[in-house]
Amino acid sequence: MAIIGIECSAHTFGVGVVKNGKILSNERRMYKISDKGMIPSKLADFHSEGAGTTIAAAIKNAGISTEEIEAVGYTKGPGLGASLRIGYLSAYTLSRKLGVPLIPVNHGIAHIEIAKRLNAMKNPVALYVSGGNSQILRMVEEPDRHYNIYGETYDIGVGNMLDSFARGAGLNPAWGSSVAKAAAGGRYIQLPYTVKGMDFTFTGLMTNALAKLKSEQLNDVCYSLQETAFSMLCEATERALLLTGSRELVLCGGVAQSARLKEMADAMAKPHNVKVGTLSDEYNADNGAMIGIVAERIFLSKSKIETGHEIDQRYRLDSVKVTWR
Amino acid sequence: MKKISEGAESIVYEGTVAGIRCVIKSRIQKLYRIDELDQRIRSTRTKNEARIISSASKAGVNTPRVLLIDGFDLYTERIGGTTLNKMGRIGTNERQKIMQGAGKNLALLHSSDIAHGDYTPANIMVDSGTVYVIDFGLAEQTKSVEEKAIDLLLMKRSVEKSDYKTFESAYVHASSKSNAIVSRLHEVEMRGRYQTRTLAV
Ligand SMILES: Nc1ncnc2c1ncn2[C@@H]1O[C@H](COP(=O)(O)OP(=O)(O)O)[C@@H](O)[C@H]1O
Ligand SMILES: [Mg+2]
Repeated sequence: MAIIGIECSAHTFGVGVVKNGKILSNERRMYKISDKGMIPSKLADFHSEGAGTTIAAAIKNAGISTEEIEAVGYTKGPGLGASLRIGYLSAYTLSRKLGVPLIPVNHGIAHIEIAKRLNAMKNPVALYVSGGNSQILRMVEEPDRHYNIYGETYDIGVGNMLDSFARGAGLNPAWGSSVAKAAAGGRYIQLPYTVKGMDFTFTGLMTNALAKLKSEQLNDVCYSLQETAFSMLCEATERALLLTGSRELVLCGGVAQSARLKEMADAMAKPHNVKVGTLSDEYNADNGAMIGIVAERIFLSKSKIETGHEIDQRYRLDSVKVTWR
Repeated sequence: MKKISEGAESIVYEGTVAGIRCVIKSRIQKLYRIDELDQRIRSTRTKNEARIISSASKAGVNTPRVLLIDGFDLYTERIGGTTLNKMGRIGTNERQKIMQGAGKNLALLHSSDIAHGDYTPANIMVDSGTVYVIDFGLAEQTKSVEEKAIDLLLMKRSVEKSDYKTFESAYVHASSKSNAIVSRLHEVEMRGRYQTRTLAV
């Protein structure tokens, strides 16, 4: 048997085929962000155009026949309505055609689960960092098994913060990586650093960094912005590790592609004998394989799938009852 | 110097320096942060903690006196007794007195616009009947009703219902603006996020 997963919550239309926890294929098609950000109607058109071919490519590259597909997983949320609708409708059409069940998956849970499984970890603390999200989580059993949020951003996700800054600084907004490039050779200048327990905020940091551009070198500001933001994330994560006593940490989400963040997390975890699990870029970015992985777990757990509310732009990660192990 | 506790941010030692019994809170270097940022954070937090302890004490809160700031090390006078979470079984009467003291101290803190940030039994010390507040590591000078409500929330999560009741009445009794803070507490508790957090920690 095989499961197909369809991810479409923002700029990526991703399709992955999964069998017994193994990823057989992972196809992606990405909408190029302009300097104005994402325009919903254009985004929807882009995804509609590419859906069919991306799905076909994923099935072909997996080397399976369509009869082998036993369920279709899709991203229910959180995400942009324009994208979620296209993802859902594509998944719905495919599941009807194949006569197999449709399984809704939470986007954030999929990011964590793929990291956990590819690193063969049982119950790690997760630092989930992407455009819209920045959270520190771990699965707990009470009152029902779910992902508990230990800490999170009070305002915007670290990825969006870096992109908005990049735009404001006239850099090419490329999901944080343009700030990383421009940071090369920079020196530290003082910027606001705000951690409260295991929570943190980013808008003050961003506004201040943008203002500093008037008086300081671009590479110094980029360097300091990145160092400050990632240090904040590491400090909050360290608290969660000590609080839970966990010896495992995974980094996941788009910003987890950052080499600097990985390096810092390693340095933070080492004195506590905590193992750090990371992913290759392909699986940190939004992708269909992660949706397939969770859909397979849900499918195998034989839990009842709730219908209604097919998509939910604000689908909270900690509201999901985890029915699988 | 004897190590008495180790947290995410600092190591706490006790000892006697020049004949004075003291506690030294030493903020540890974090290798993941670049040096400049690391030193700036440790130094500001040490100074901030000292400053807040002093204003708390001026506001009439029982708290150990600050003796010295030495780089990233904060020396405070050592008080006897134990923290509330380590007191073991104590009589109802004594427990009520302690909860009243904890409530009154928090009211005094809030009246001078200090939110403690970690107001739990681990940071309340009792020495022959006197209730002290320690560990201002996460404290902030703020007017924020939300921050103050979270001080109440942390205590509520950490003690038994009846103890919390005693604590809250003493708090309300000793403060002038407690209405807004108590109702914000109820609001914060209604928000999903804190509910799930409470259940997990
Ligand atoms: N002034 C003091 N006198 C006596 N013991 C203290 C004093 N300050 C702290 N301690 C002891 O050290 C422990 C840790 O100190 P604390 O300031 O709470 O640091 P942490 O940030 O690690 O919680 C306390 O639980 C208490 O047992
Ligand atoms: Mg303490």
